[in-house]
Amino acid sequence: MGEGSQAELASHSTTPLVEMTGIDKNFPGVRALSQARFELVPGEVHALMGENGAGKSTLMKVLSGVYARDAGVVKLNGEPVEISSPRQAQDAGISIIHQELALMRDLTAAQNIFIGREPRRFGILDEGQLNRDAAAIFKSMNLKLEPTVLVENLTIAKQQMVEIAKALSYRSRVLIMDEPTAALNDAEIAELFAIINRLKAEGVGIVYISHKMDEIKRISDRVTVMRDGEYVGTVPAAETPIETIISMMVGRTLTNEALVIPNVADQPVALEVRGLNRGREIRDVSFSVRQGEILGFAGLMGAGRTEVARAIFGADRKESGEIWVHGQRVGITTPRDAVAKGIGYLSEDRKLFGLATGLDVRNNIALASLERFTGPTGVLNEAGMEAAAKDYIRQLAIKTPSDSQEARLLSGGNQQKVVIAKWLLRDCDILIFDEPTRGIDVGAKSEIYKLLNNLAAQGKAIIVISSELPEILRLSHRIAVMCEGRLTGILPGGSSQEEIMHLATMREAAMMPDEEVRRAG
Amino acid sequence: MLNRRTLLGAISAVAMLAASTPVMAQDNYDIALISKGFQHQFWQAVKAGADQAAADLGVTVTFEGPETESQVDRQMDMLAAALSRQPDAIGFAALDSQAATPLLQQAQDAGIPVIAFDSGVDSDIPLTTATTDNVAAAALAADVMAELIGGEGKVAIVAHDQTSRTGIDRVEGFSNRIKEAYPNIEIVSVQYGGGDQLQSTEITKSILLANPDLKGIFGANEGSVLGVANGKQELGSDIVVIGYDSGAAQKAFIESGVIAGAITQNPVGIGYQTVQAAVSALKGEELPEIIDTGFYYYNADNMSDPQIAAVLYD
Amino acid sequence: MTDTTAPAQKSGIRFTGAFHRLLAFSGLIALVLVFSLASPNFMQTQNILAILQATAVNGVLAIAVTLVIITGGIDLSVGTLMTFCAVIAGVILTYWGLPMPLGIIGAILAGTASGLISGTVVAKLKVPPFIATLGMMLILKGLSLVISGTRPIYFNDTPGFNQIALGSVVGQIIPAVPVPNGVMILFAVALLASFVLGKTALGRYTFALGSNEEAVRLSGVNVDRWKIGVYALSGAIVGVGGVLIASRLNSAQPALGQGYELEAIAAVVIGGTSLSGGRGTVLGTLIGALIISVLANGLRILSVAQEWQTVVTGTIIILAVYADILRRRNL
Repeated sequence: MGEGSQAELASHSTTPLVEMTGIDKNFPGVRALSQARFELVPGEVHALMGENGAGKSTLMKVLSGVYARDAGVVKLNGEPVEISSPRQAQDAGISIIHQELALMRDLTAAQNIFIGREPRRFGILDEGQLNRDAAAIFKSMNLKLEPTVLVENLTIAKQQMVEIAKALSYRSRVLIMDEPTAALNDAEIAELFAIINRLKAEGVGIVYISHKMDEIKRISDRVTVMRDGEYVGTVPAAETPIETIISMMVGRTLTNEALVIPNVADQPVALEVRGLNRGREIRDVSFSVRQGEILGFAGLMGAGRTEVARAIFGADRKESGEIWVHGQRVGITTPRDAVAKGIGYLSEDRKLFGLATGLDVRNNIALASLERFTGPTGVLNEAGMEAAAKDYIRQLAIKTPSDSQEARLLSGGNQQKVVIAKWLLRDCDILIFDEPTRGIDVGAKSEIYKLLNNLAAQGKAIIVISSELPEILRLSHRIAVMCEGRLTGILPGGSSQEEIMHLATMREAAMMPDEEVRRAG
Repeated sequence: MLNRRTLLGAISAVAMLAASTPVMAQDNYDIALISKGFQHQFWQAVKAGADQAAADLGVTVTFEGPETESQVDRQMDMLAAALSRQPDAIGFAALDSQAATPLLQQAQDAGIPVIAFDSGVDSDIPLTTATTDNVAAAALAADVMAELIGGEGKVAIVAHDQTSRTGIDRVEGFSNRIKEAYPNIEIVSVQYGGGDQLQSTEITKSILLANPDLKGIFGANEGSVLGVANGKQELGSDIVVIGYDSGAAQKAFIESGVIAGAITQNPVGIGYQTVQAAVSALKGEELPEIIDTGFYYYNADNMSDPQIAAVLYD
Repeated sequence: MTDTTAPAQKSGIRFTGAFHRLLAFSGLIALVLVFSLASPNFMQTQNILAILQATAVNGVLAIAVTLVIITGGIDLSVGTLMTFCAVIAGVILTYWGLPMPLGIIGAILAGTASGLISGTVVAKLKVPPFIATLGMMLILKGLSLVISGTRPIYFNDTPGFNQIALGSVVGQIIPAVPVPNGVMILFAVALLASFVLGKTALGRYTFALGSNEEAVRLSGVNVDRWKIGVYALSGAIVGVGGVLIASRLNSAQPALGQGYELEAIAAVVIGGTSLSGGRGTVLGTLIGALIISVLANGLRILSVAQEWQTVVTGTIIILAVYADILRRRNL
């Protein structure tokens, strides 16, 4: 699987591009890095893995000059260096491509690449030269992109390519990629990997931070695992089983529970959707989910799964379609209506849509139920809220020092649990999870899976939308597959990846010419 | 008519100056002046007069005023802080006499003499008021206007506001004089621009556009008349403009003939007389009920006369 | 992906509110100490009362704008709305000759109504708060001038009206400290606003809206209704401010008010409320308003020239916010 081997690596060079040893970094009261180390040789993709909080980002921030280390040595090409600002790092040939892309949306691709270094003629910006330079870089990447296109019109994947082009324009020898595929679909990932391979061939060293095991196996040569700010070990990617890497990360062996599909045929239907429509995004979608059942929603990016969820929930409008809850037809036009009918929605981006990050855990859990805690005088029953919050913190094993901890300080998995607790407290028995484990590390993922199974066992009807097929296969009792706004089929649980992919790419023949027009335009 | 009034004003001013022989104070009196404004050139000229008197008489003077003449409560805060300082005397130009009454009462109870200046204070607490007779001054402007437009035709007024004493007095002084003495002159419009130059410009242009046969406009304070002059220039009109107060811009307009001439108060004298009256009061001297600080009509011809130049400010 | 494991932050963040109040409060104490040492006239009962009196109106406006700022909005209309409410009181009491309580209620209702309109424009029409309240600021300024005929409306026919702000119920009980009623009303408004923010659903949603409005909406909460509610409450408090200034001046001054919103916002910011929403306290705002008044009064007592008073005040505002940024960075 690994596209580089040790033998090939050795042929590139003997001196590592980057050598970090004995790195310590303390924040007030926290030891973020302790004797951490890392090595990158030319032409290798080196995956850096670890759970959230393991110290990956901190280590890379030390390398790129964002943080000053407290102890240790950083060598570039064998020479000890002091990098004290991102600017210095850039000059030394180190570039970071952040998870949150740092592009200016209203500028063109070329303008973004050369921001701050615009070619000038007689003091006046030379747009022609700018665009020619950018085009040259795109060509070297074998990337078809107009330098003059506005960044806001680009897909996330293309924006990422622009970021990479920007890094290349600095003649970077070291490229740090932080979760580069988080927002990409399979085709785009393939495109990204092609570029990574081309960079490798030119001797660029790539640090690849990701949670996705299959990607790590596919693209990287070596894997360094960190845990609690310390170095755990470095292993060759191809030869090391995934289970070994995971146990290095979490410090124990995870048991992978097998999928058990309960018989829910005699359970009442909790939610039924008939003929849901909205423009091109949702086209005649009908399905039902029973109590105690987990219905997975698979599909490529842009297949319309999130749109369906938001339309059911009343977060976006719908053009037509009926929604039946517990056998009764209901009118839902706002989230408020949906919640009143017992439907809870856990959005794909918790920080943006799901969690009031500035509020504490208690208030986030109570957020949808404040009216229940309001007495006749209008005063909030703080004690009641606290008791309820503590109850759910215990039930869902939310790791937080107290219920008055600010929600933004929790890890991704625990934030997700807080949102789940919010809906459980609100007595929601139909729960729609959109990408429930996005940004959550491996250890916490299996905990969330266990939680979803428990909720189903308690009789909740659950819809899970996920872009990760293993997740869909692991959880779903039935699998609904969408493609271009249509529901192309519902498969039984335990179906193969190939069956799902077949439905996920089953484009409507009649729509093809029209689709092509849209893409071209 | 015109000459006699000018003369009268000049004589009274000279008389005042003559009366103001410096007296050396034995004590270093602390006198707090709370004015109606601060940034405006007029108030800065009052301040200059007060500072001059402070130097001549050997007393300490502070001078404060709110940013705009609508901030009545801010002026109250300033007066309250001044009282806390326990000055020997207070000079006060009220934005709203009623609002100030409790604090003035407090001053009287504490035995701090109060001298009113400019538009004065509507109360019997101040021992005297150093002020311009605005009604008479505006009437003089009406006389000048009548003379310059030949005693007939349409005129208009652009004033700063209709709530302050000076605004009311100047508009009334001008319009009453026109009604009494010049039956062939019609005042077609009285507009208020808040003393804001830009706003007054717009007002002027709309008046001119609505009344193509207009003969003249009276601008009732510095900001107003600058607006009138701007409006006149922007439309290329040749109406007669009579202004009020001075300031570098207005003086330049008068020199270039855009403004025919203007009434000037004696702001320096107002400041000087206020401080002087305060010192007199502290020495137990008798004070007249009103100290008329005088006014003049000036134009390009007499601007550089010493006694006129002395009361004009930049 | 945060790599800084949280424990150390955890204990720190919980005391943020208290610590900030401490910071602003120590600033206030420092100012008072400096002025007391510099002038014997500063620490006099009468002067302290003058400072409190000068804080009353700005304090009430600042509390009103605090509520809106915590939701992540801004209200530029508080200054001219205050004037509008005062004018409405004038119309009811002086033009119509109705009894005093009706004038007070009328002013507060006028404030509430204006808040409802601002809130509706923001929540339903999705006009950004800055623009919506900028519009309201001008509308209210104009209406005040129209209704009053640009002349002050005096309350001479309503005996006792100026006692609302200037009288002293406290002074009747304890003659040594005649705290003006206006100041007691400020404290009452502060208590009420603290109570609403801390103890009621409206208060909780105020913070939640400022923290993450979309999360609140997706929690099935009627976001629009609560947001309008916050603006309405804020407007009602401004109505109280309108009564206070009218009573203090014994008149409704229609040209007054513009510029007062900025001083109110300055008090809010000095008090540690974040302009980006989700965080803030009424007590902090109260202290912020006091800092502004103490500064103005103290500099006047020291006979500092007015030009320099302005420079010092501006400097203090920047320093206060910078101190807050430093503290946050160090956590």
